[in-house]
Amino acid sequence: MTGPPVLSVENLQAYYRTHYFGVNREVRAVDGITFDVHDNEIYGLAGESSSGKTTLIKTVAGLLKPPLQFVGGAARFSFLPGHDALATAPRAVALGVWWSRLSFIMQGSMNVLNPLRRIRRTFRDFALRHVRGTRQEFGQRVLDHLARVRLDPSVLDAYPHELSGGMRQRVTIALATICKPQFIIADEPTTALDVVIQKDVLGMIRQIQREMGSSVLLVTHDMGVHAALTDRLGIMYAGRLVEEAPTRKLFAAPMHPYTQHLIASLPRIGDAGHRNSLEGSPPNLADPPSGCRFHPRCPLARDVCRASAPPLIVAGGGHRVACHVVAGAGAS
Amino acid sequence: MWGIVKDLIKYNSEFRIGATLILVVLTIAGLSLVSPYPANVTYVVAPDVPPSRAHWFGTTSRGQDVFWQLTFAIRNTLVFGILVAGLSRLLSLAIGLVAGYRGGWVDRVLMSINDTFIVIPLFPVLILFYFVLRDRMSTALLALIMACLGWAYDARLIRSVAMSIKSREFTETSIFSGMTTREILMQEHLPYVMPIVFSTTMNNMNWSIGLEVTLAVLGFMDIDTPTIGSMIYWANQHTAIVAGIWWWIAFPVGLVVMTFVGLFLLAVSMNEYIDPRSRLARMGGGVR
Repeated sequence: MTGPPVLSVENLQAYYRTHYFGVNREVRAVDGITFDVHDNEIYGLAGESSSGKTTLIKTVAGLLKPPLQFVGGAARFSFLPGHDALATAPRAVALGVWWSRLSFIMQGSMNVLNPLRRIRRTFRDFALRHVRGTRQEFGQRVLDHLARVRLDPSVLDAYPHELSGGMRQRVTIALATICKPQFIIADEPTTALDVVIQKDVLGMIRQIQREMGSSVLLVTHDMGVHAALTDRLGIMYAGRLVEEAPTRKLFAAPMHPYTQHLIASLPRIGDAGHRNSLEGSPPNLADPPSGCRFHPRCPLARDVCRASAPPLIVAGGGHRVACHVVAGAGAS
Repeated sequence: MWGIVKDLIKYNSEFRIGATLILVVLTIAGLSLVSPYPANVTYVVAPDVPPSRAHWFGTTSRGQDVFWQLTFAIRNTLVFGILVAGLSRLLSLAIGLVAGYRGGWVDRVLMSINDTFIVIPLFPVLILFYFVLRDRMSTALLALIMACLGWAYDARLIRSVAMSIKSREFTETSIFSGMTTREILMQEHLPYVMPIVFSTTMNNMNWSIGLEVTLAVLGFMDIDTPTIGSMIYWANQHTAIVAGIWWWIAFPVGLVVMTFVGLFLLAVSMNEYIDPRSRLARMGGGVR
């Protein structure tokens, strides 16, 4: 990948902080994450539930609601110079880029559309303010854009409940991309769709992204989606990025023990062998394990893993990994 | 608009019956404008005449024609009910939506005010108002007082709905799209609570008309303004039932019951127009 990054995340930290009846609780859902997303690239983020994926992208997009708090670090957009993170920028700045330049395809497309508004009204409510021109021009633009996601103009007069799940998802994609944003964040865009529709929707995201040359940050726990769509892939575990590599490389030669297990657990056609699952469950982020957060479940854990957190080191060829064992093997 | 009404008449029997009843009530109220007798003048006709061709609903012991008196009474009662319902809807919508959406300290402050109004004993307060204001108490003033006392239950109801739609993705998407709080509440949340508002409006009119009748019957009201309540008050004063002047009580009560039933049926059928999902539910379908 060439050129300066569109999004550059540096040591980003965002915690859920609550204090009820004198008890303070701090859940470190995003704890020191660093990665870049380049121009015209689809960057994937994978990880199991509660690994902090959704928290990370909400923080990047500046959509924080209490008790989630921005703690430190930076998430800089190239189109927003002078501000370290949308989460700390004034609201007027955020309103200036939201939807028009930075777009968000939310989790659960079923609920993105107000059930009591016709699709036409939803387009007007959400997107009209970000587009220059008259209502007629906007209407034409909506029609052109619907054709791009292969939807009939008649959906504009429908209520969301009259559309199928796939159609609704295509409507939300059309809504999110109508302003030709430079950066699209997609949170589980294909969950709750069957595989046929999934393939269709993913192809559409890719096609639109290629046509507009925007960058996509795609979050899902579905490794199959990542394999099909993303250019580079980051693996999250317990609020930290443990590995990052070009997608093909990551699938072919995972380095981190967690990633290795994750990829080994994927079923392959023709392979009837039993898949080994990893013992245990993700740690409690209010009280994370010391050192490397994966060490209680890691088959390769050593003393150093319990004592200190491994830094994310460059392993060559765009591959980065955070593991003492891998780093030790590379050094020796 | 006309097409919708035609469809409702064609397919919805609740609307048909409700609209007919309300139309009758409104016609009677409208006839007050062409009444041959002024509203507040007594002994203009022979007293205690049973229903006849000359006096359809008979005459009162005070020498008033029951039918024409009723036209003034139902008009004032309807205006009163609409006034209370309208004013209290504004309050409960504004407070319920804002409290539910904003949450935090805004919610806590608004809801503590709200709960205060819920626990205030209404009837003694209204009687107290009457004794303080005495002759200055008018129907309009009573409507204002009742509106200020009658919004709390529905504000809580609306708040609970607002809290649930606040957590839906479309609210978050609205924020992300740059809509202001006012726009989100007016465009995204208001349509959602409208069916509830419609049925509570009818409920509220019911409640306010009922209370007004109660106060007037007991004499804690401006009894010179003809309302359904003050008509019954005067009938009681003249011991109409004992004297066998049943038409003096029966027709006002019958008309007010007709109003209640008509409003209720209209509210039910309006929901079908406003909420597309209840149309589905009627067909036996539903969302998801």
